[in-house]
Amino acid sequence: MIQMIKKNKLPFLVILLYAVLFVVAPEKGSQSASNSLYYLKEMIMIMPVVFLLTVVIEAWIPKEVIMKRFGDKSGFLGSIFSLILGSVSAGPIYAAFPICKMLLSKGASIKNVVIIISAWAVIKVPMLISEAKFLSPEFMVTRWVLTVIAIFIMANIMNIFVKREDVMSVDNAKEKNQLFIKEEYCIGCGICAKILPNYYEIRDKKAIIKGEMNLEESDLILKSVEDCPTKAIVYNFEVGESDVLKN
Amino acid sequence: MDVFTRAFYIITIVLTLITLFRDKKKTFEAMKKSKRMMGSMMGEIVGIIFSIGLLLTFIPPQMIKTALGSTNTLLSTIVGALAGSITLIPAFVAFPLVGSFVDAGASIVPAVAFLTTLTMVGVVTIPLEKKEFGLKFTVARNILSFVAAMIIAVTMGVLL
Repeated sequence: MIQMIKKNKLPFLVILLYAVLFVVAPEKGSQSASNSLYYLKEMIMIMPVVFLLTVVIEAWIPKEVIMKRFGDKSGFLGSIFSLILGSVSAGPIYAAFPICKMLLSKGASIKNVVIIISAWAVIKVPMLISEAKFLSPEFMVTRWVLTVIAIFIMANIMNIFVKREDVMSVDNAKEKNQLFIKEEYCIGCGICAKILPNYYEIRDKKAIIKGEMNLEESDLILKSVEDCPTKAIVYNFEVGESDVLKN
Repeated sequence: MDVFTRAFYIITIVLTLITLFRDKKKTFEAMKKSKRMMGSMMGEIVGIIFSIGLLLTFIPPQMIKTALGSTNTLLSTIVGALAGSITLIPAFVAFPLVGSFVDAGASIVPAVAFLTTLTMVGVVTIPLEKKEFGLKFTVARNILSFVAAMIIAVTMGVLL
């Protein structure tokens, strides 16, 4: 019960406020409730559309294919793909961090990573409906156009100021050949536990590593790293950085 | 139901039917995922919507108009952008909140600043971002996003 309240602070606080209000000043309470009803009705009306649109995007857009297209030489097309990837992905901005980190290590440019993170944050296709509904379609379109322009300018500035080394040097201190899970990003989907049941286990809605590393299974380990939807599994390869550069 | 919403209903229903027709399994998987995401937001959505009712009852529109109206746009825009930077609520529920303020007479410039920094600048998520991309990247991105939000807001004010 306490945990439930902790997880839903806002709704519980609002219920409490209404309860107090209905005791102290009932007419204010019913006025507030009727004020809210209009917004509630509008919200309920667009919820099914938002839901279905999320489903369509999720089922249709081949994100893995898009992800192969933003290296340093990907040019303008790479930026467009970055914009699309960010716009169609669901979830809050921090869900973009581990995915972008993975893309960086695969050669994505700083510029494209900034575009993905920013678009991920601001341009959510299903959310555009909510914006058009509660503000206005013109408002939504104008803000969208201006934001896209701003994102491209920002990405180009970042590309000049931040060098690849600034970003890549962050967790080099970690031991080589080590497997670990970034707990804050794990959503407990259980895909990793399905691939390697003797390594991973879901406990308290988070994946944990239980087994010892067995190098013969490295193919499956790589698969679990690749398949993790939030890229929360990190595997530092045995090969040193110099080897990577040589290849 | 207005024309806009009706058009969206028709488009999405057609798209969903096509998706279902092409790949049933994939569609249901996507539905499960989407349901979980929306479900986790439900509490917050209802909470925000009922707080809007409270706000509108206790803060008279006249006050919103004077505080956030077009008389002192610069200050209210900076406040809006700062408020957006430190808050972490889904943009999806921010739209009705901001919409209610605009309906009550607030200027759209601070509204845009708030909406844009709300999603692009994340003071709360800076530690996470720093851990992944380092200090330089994080600071540069957040400052640039803040400036961009202000510029977008002012431009919107001129255009609309």
